[in-house]
Amino acid sequence: MTGLAWRQVRRGALLVVLLAAGVPALIATTHGRVFADPADVAGLRAIAADPAIRTLFGEPLALADPGGFAVWRSGTVTAVLVGVWAALTTTRTTRGQEEPGRWTALLAGPVSLRGTTARHLGVLALLSVLAGAATAAALVLAGTDPAGAAVHGAGTGLLGLFATAVAAGTSQLFTTRAAASGAAVAVLGAGLLVRMVGDGVGELSWLRWTSPFGWVQLSRPYAGDRAGPLLLLVAVTAVLAAAALVAAGHRDVGEGLLAHRSHRPAQRGLLGSVEAFALRRCLRPVAGWSTGVGAYYLLLGLTAVSVTGFLAGNAGVADMAGRTGFTGLDRVEGFTAAVFTLLAVPVGAFAAARLAAFAAAESDRRLVLLAAAPLTRLRLLGAEVAATTAGALVLTAVAALATWVGVAAAGGGLALTDALRGTFNTLPVTLLCLGVAVLAAGAGLPAVTALGCLPGAGGFLLQVLADSVDAPAGVRGLSPVSHLAPVPLRGVDWTAALVMTALAVLLALAGAAVHRRRDLRC
Amino acid sequence: MDATTRTTPGATTGATRGGPAVHAVGLTKRYGSTTAVDDLHLRVPAGEVFGFLGPNGAGKSTTIRLLLGLARPSAGSARVFGVDAADVERAHRLLAHVPADVALWPHLTGAEVLHLLAATGPGTDTAYRDELVERFALDPGKPARTYSTGNRQKVALIAAFATRAPLLVLDEPTSGLDPLMEREFRRAVAQARQRGQAVFLSSHQLAEVEAVCDRVGILRAGRLVEVASVADLRSLHRTEVSASYTGAAPRLSGLAGVEAVETTAPGRVRFTLTGPPGAALASLAAADVTALAVREPSLEEIFLDYYGEGGSGEQVRP
Repeated sequence: MTGLAWRQVRRGALLVVLLAAGVPALIATTHGRVFADPADVAGLRAIAADPAIRTLFGEPLALADPGGFAVWRSGTVTAVLVGVWAALTTTRTTRGQEEPGRWTALLAGPVSLRGTTARHLGVLALLSVLAGAATAAALVLAGTDPAGAAVHGAGTGLLGLFATAVAAGTSQLFTTRAAASGAAVAVLGAGLLVRMVGDGVGELSWLRWTSPFGWVQLSRPYAGDRAGPLLLLVAVTAVLAAAALVAAGHRDVGEGLLAHRSHRPAQRGLLGSVEAFALRRCLRPVAGWSTGVGAYYLLLGLTAVSVTGFLAGNAGVADMAGRTGFTGLDRVEGFTAAVFTLLAVPVGAFAAARLAAFAAAESDRRLVLLAAAPLTRLRLLGAEVAATTAGALVLTAVAALATWVGVAAAGGGLALTDALRGTFNTLPVTLLCLGVAVLAAGAGLPAVTALGCLPGAGGFLLQVLADSVDAPAGVRGLSPVSHLAPVPLRGVDWTAALVMTALAVLLALAGAAVHRRRDLRC
Repeated sequence: MDATTRTTPGATTGATRGGPAVHAVGLTKRYGSTTAVDDLHLRVPAGEVFGFLGPNGAGKSTTIRLLLGLARPSAGSARVFGVDAADVERAHRLLAHVPADVALWPHLTGAEVLHLLAATGPGTDTAYRDELVERFALDPGKPARTYSTGNRQKVALIAAFATRAPLLVLDEPTSGLDPLMEREFRRAVAQARQRGQAVFLSSHQLAEVEAVCDRVGILRAGRLVEVASVADLRSLHRTEVSASYTGAAPRLSGLAGVEAVETTAPGRVRFTLTGPPGAALASLAAADVTALAVREPSLEEIFLDYYGEGGSGEQVRP
């Protein structure tokens, strides 16, 4: 059974462990170059001390130390990566297997539901421990202080364990994988927001003691190395995991602790055609992703005025910021342009996830009844692509609105049209994600989500890595994200936008053509 | 317009369409070196209830996938009323399908699934659908995720029977139904036949096929080895009879339909019987029978019995 769990997670685990360990270690090795010029160092310290930057990156604890610098620059990103991965993998391998009845045969054997859950959690916990250990080992190999590396590695791994325990709990509460995943990610998101507010607002810094992300930061890697907050994280994780296992022993297989209505009147809206039905299935995911994307861009909007005001008054710092990867940050337009380019990561992931859901409907045979209706393959796939595109447009607009509201609330000036131009500038990369996902789903390939995330999340990671290690321009140019102009600071790069959009359309057409010809798996 | 109120003339014009309900010519499907369906020739006229028999893995479901255009044939062709099966937009206006293992969208209730299938399908008689919901005792207000296998099957059966499509393609549709529902299923098939709808019924339940089908085709290892009327199929039946007696040994050898006579113990005889049992029973009665057991062989046994010897020489796959 542990073998079964391992088979389901090994590929993703390898990627996450490589990223969690590789990114901080790579950044640590660039420390000497960044800190060669005393003027640069002063600038970096000034940026890092700004409340808005503190909100995003956390408290700068030991910038002079290569390890401390790496933790500041990448700690939040790797913690979120490991946490979200651990949570989603947990719901996928537990509730996600139980929901369609795949555990029924398994549970007919001598092992109880609690035992099965415990074995899966054991494997998942091991992977988080592995991610933490690899992070620590890579930082030691990069030449940083072993004690600090151990504390940071432990913090990263423990956050993964916490996320697994939370997701194990939500998998007991809810009957569907989607609800369990959403609730687990919401808990992590709330924890991150609390940490951000605690870091950004001096009087509320105590809030960090209420968040797992806060505890990881309060362990102060490379700046005191305190074990106390991590022990607190261990205790909370243990309580959550134990509660999940107790719950697993007290519920029926296939059911959740939260009672769901077993009977309800028919809601016939959006069931009149395959296109309407695709839209109906899209509504909830769009609402969920909108909440996440909206909250994040609202926060960025709120911080934009503070950051840009600070940089505008420090020309030297702004210049230095340009050289460390933050360009044009002394104006609201520049700051928002920089954060808007990130939008293709979540919206592209949304698009990939929707096409993955379409592929899942085929492989678990839900699609048969529609495929037996007088509908061409093109309509079946096209309905999904149309609904997904509409959802992506909504998310793109939500990001612009949230940023605009945030900037306005903080007393800044950003035209709504500029915000919209900025977010819709990322649409070609989102469409590339959709195009790749359509090709993957159309061809019946596994891992539609992962493939669809390559242009967005993959491109962003490639760009960060290329910037961190000063890779040749050609490597950076492989990332579609690198071809996005900083809008609204500057105008749209129409050539790049059209080339990427055309490529996206070609990928989608290729996907539709393969889909039309191949045998369905249902 | 509410799509569910649409109805099509369907069955009444089925016979006037471009050809037989199902017409397969040299239909072949290979997966790598495995041949799932091998040079299948089949013709099911409009309005006929056709049983498609075969053991597990014989290629029944693959044939249906080819017929529905879900899979492409490696060679040959399948047509539905003269329309190429690959042209699903036209062919599927003429058919409704119940898959072997029905999977539904877990969040939709039964009523919502029925509404969706009526809106996207070939046209539905909603009044008859509501009647079928009653007859099959389906609770349509429950989310599909709470349905048992049998209830999911009922949803698909109701949706298919409520259409007026001139062809119903049913893939082992009763495997999850209880005997009462099985009876409703047979009634629904009979009513479909009365309306002139053709039914292509894949099954490995001989009793069901005998009860509702006009003709049967028997598939083995991807090849169609027999197409016969149900009357002919009955003649394949060899009932096994065991009897204990106290009198003189009954004279059974040579009686019409009696074969494989075997004395299993002193005072016990076993033989196979095909056709009317009168002569054999008269012979047994003369021997003062104290116990009599009659066992109908399973479909699998008939396959083995009939095709194991003198057939193509291939073994039935388990």
